Amino acid sequence: MDRRDLLKSIALVTGAAVIGGDFFLTGCKQAGKSEAGFTPDNIRLLDEVGETILPTTQTPGAKAAQVGEFMKVYVTDCYTQRQQNAFMEGLISLQDSCEKMHGKAFTDCSETERKEFLISLEKEAKAFNQKRDEEDKPTREAHEQRNSTLPWKDQTEFEGSPSHYYTMIKQLTLLGFFTSQTGMTETLRHVPVPGKYDGEFPYAKGDKAWAE
Amino acid sequence: MNLNTNAESQNTYDAIVIGSGISGGWAAKELTEKGLKVIMLERGRNIEHIKDYVNANKELWEFPHRGRRTQQMIKDYPVLKRDYPLNETVLDFWVKDKECPYTEIKRFDWYRGYHVGGRSLMWGRQSYRLNKWDFEANAKEGIAVDWPIRYEDIAPWYSYAEKFAGIQGSKDGLEVLPDGEFMPAMELNCVEKEVKKRMAEYYKGKRHLIIGRSANLTQPHYDRINCQYRNRCWRGCPFGGYFSTQSATLPAAMKTGNLTLRPFSIVTKILYDKDTKKATGVEVLDAETNLTYEFKAKIVFVCASALNSTWVLMNSATDIWPDGLGSSSGELGHNVMDHHFRAGAKGRVEGFSDKYEYGRRPTGIYIPRFRNIYDDKRDYLRGFGYQGGAGRGRGVEVAEFTIGADLKDALSVPTEDWQIGITAFGEMLPYHENKVTLDRNTTDKWGLPVLAFDVEIKENEKKMRIDMMNDAKEMLEVSGVKDVETFDHGYAVGMGIHEMGTARMGRDPKTSVLNKYNQVWDALNVFVTDGACMTSASCVNPSLTYMALTARAADYAVSELKKRNL
Repeated sequence: MDRRDLLKSIALVTGAAVIGGDFFLTGCKQAGKSEAGFTPDNIRLLDEVGETILPTTQTPGAKAAQVGEFMKVYVTDCYTQRQQNAFMEGLISLQDSCEKMHGKAFTDCSETERKEFLISLEKEAKAFNQKRDEEDKPTREAHEQRNSTLPWKDQTEFEGSPSHYYTMIKQLTLLGFFTSQTGMTETLRHVPVPGKYDGEFPYAKGDKAWAE
Repeated sequence: MNLNTNAESQNTYDAIVIGSGISGGWAAKELTEKGLKVIMLERGRNIEHIKDYVNANKELWEFPHRGRRTQQMIKDYPVLKRDYPLNETVLDFWVKDKECPYTEIKRFDWYRGYHVGGRSLMWGRQSYRLNKWDFEANAKEGIAVDWPIRYEDIAPWYSYAEKFAGIQGSKDGLEVLPDGEFMPAMELNCVEKEVKKRMAEYYKGKRHLIIGRSANLTQPHYDRINCQYRNRCWRGCPFGGYFSTQSATLPAAMKTGNLTLRPFSIVTKILYDKDTKKATGVEVLDAETNLTYEFKAKIVFVCASALNSTWVLMNSATDIWPDGLGSSSGELGHNVMDHHFRAGAKGRVEGFSDKYEYGRRPTGIYIPRFRNIYDDKRDYLRGFGYQGGAGRGRGVEVAEFTIGADLKDALSVPTEDWQIGITAFGEMLPYHENKVTLDRNTTDKWGLPVLAFDVEIKENEKKMRIDMMNDAKEMLEVSGVKDVETFDHGYAVGMGIHEMGTARMGRDPKTSVLNKYNQVWDALNVFVTDGACMTSASCVNPSLTYMALTARAADYAVSELKKRNL
């Protein structure tokens, strides 16, 4: 499978196009800060959240793939300022929400508590993103309307409001894991130099998918 | 300006080749093999075969952003960011947009590769012959001007080019897509074979699905190793598995001992002698030192890529023709073409869950043109061919709010069903008013004037796009594909990266820039053999035609030199 498949499947699983590095048409967005404000604690937290989303099974999980470290790099370099802010503020909300639900920090929760919490967050994210889409719609339409009256070089890209922070975290967990060495070689199958092509290769149910 | 005037003897060659991409590489190979001393001038840096393919063997996890794009990249590449070329794995191979701006009166996506090898390193490698109708259509329909050549003129040169380049493909015996000298074809996968069969049945042999013919080796060839099915061609192939200047034409030219390759050499103009009505050489701006040099030669091959070749002509002999060498017809810079695409259909194929693919095939399927040929007649001219493929994606059938081991497992296996998708590539007509001009008010990093683009698709292309979607849907549906959806992702001219026209070939110096051997009418020792020369666009990928036309022109140039006609 190639990366487009990966992005497509992440989009389907999280209900939103993968954030960062879109095919922007026009205009220069303000790039994010060089230091988005990640701390070692943030990264540990993201590793744990990631591990709940994609745990160690017969093969290593998100923590082994260092998805927290990947998120730091990706959010810092590939997110816009607005998306970055939403992500960083989201890390605080995540901790607060977990305290509210279970009366303790995410990292102190049991596996069942963690899952319960993240599923509730995902429901919250779904509602949040839907509301965001509805609210963005008139602004987006007005923006496109204005663009259509402008000469090509004066048109600008519409930047919608950021998705819910959990949508971002889940997307980056999937992206980071399935492009990591362990994800590609242990959870998936990877052959760097196949040497030949077989278009009728036998497949038995449960066989792993090819990485890239 | 610093003129290096005392170097005349050491700067004199038999031939100058401007540009080192597909056409320039072929010109250098042919001319040196025929014994000429040649200098190939490349405006960008050198990229050495294998050694400089820095990302060729990297795995995705070795890229900090896993191959995606950063905000900094988006800022630095205002053009490249508009489509797939901008990504972390191939960034080195594309031009730095900001150093080389251009003016867009209308949007034009110009994806350029300024280095040795040009876009031969990043091309799609699809290799098709134009057919006999392609060369006749303009005359029959009263569009633009007639091609000065017919299929029979170029056919032997297609064979010649294919044998050297190494093109894999099947012989299908189709008038619409002439067979060539092919290496054994890459294999269709099981789903593609089934769709091919069903399509052939339904359309009673009038529509065909074949393997995409491509410049990927299926057998060792000269010093090159056959394709290893990594499908990472665009990062440079350490096996030489696909045709590029570096893997094929440059080593052949170097082997003769007759080639000098000079990177960082921006040709600013062709030097023209009005008494002999010939070019005497070129002026070069060294991109690193900003020093100016002159190189002299008996013949000049302009292979700088379509629009840059025209830019060089526009800057040349302006004391005689204000709009440049080759502008006497009023057609220089006009008739810009590309292939319009990104419209088609896709769907799901059931019943092949016990099959998968092994290896990453660097080509897909091709469905040759079927519109407006034989007894088919549409409300637009010309037609389109489809490119695409079938494959089995990865688990996306995940229930809402699934996390944990269930999610991981679901995403670790392929989808139950295969998917198939096809995208049409349509012919764009040559319109006089679609043009590039020199914008002298805007300059690049070196203070040189830039091109201004005023190009658009018109009614003919827009009507065609409707068929491009609907025909795709019909063909997939009659082949048993489920949940077929059409798409039109939108097209801006240039996105096809098949820039053509602006110095067209023709039969009459009053209406064309080049004659039937790609000679500039106004300076017969100047040959333009890249996409600029195209009189019409056909709907097939054009690079193989540039190879054939370049080899043909080089052969003619040398025979004329021998006869002392040049």
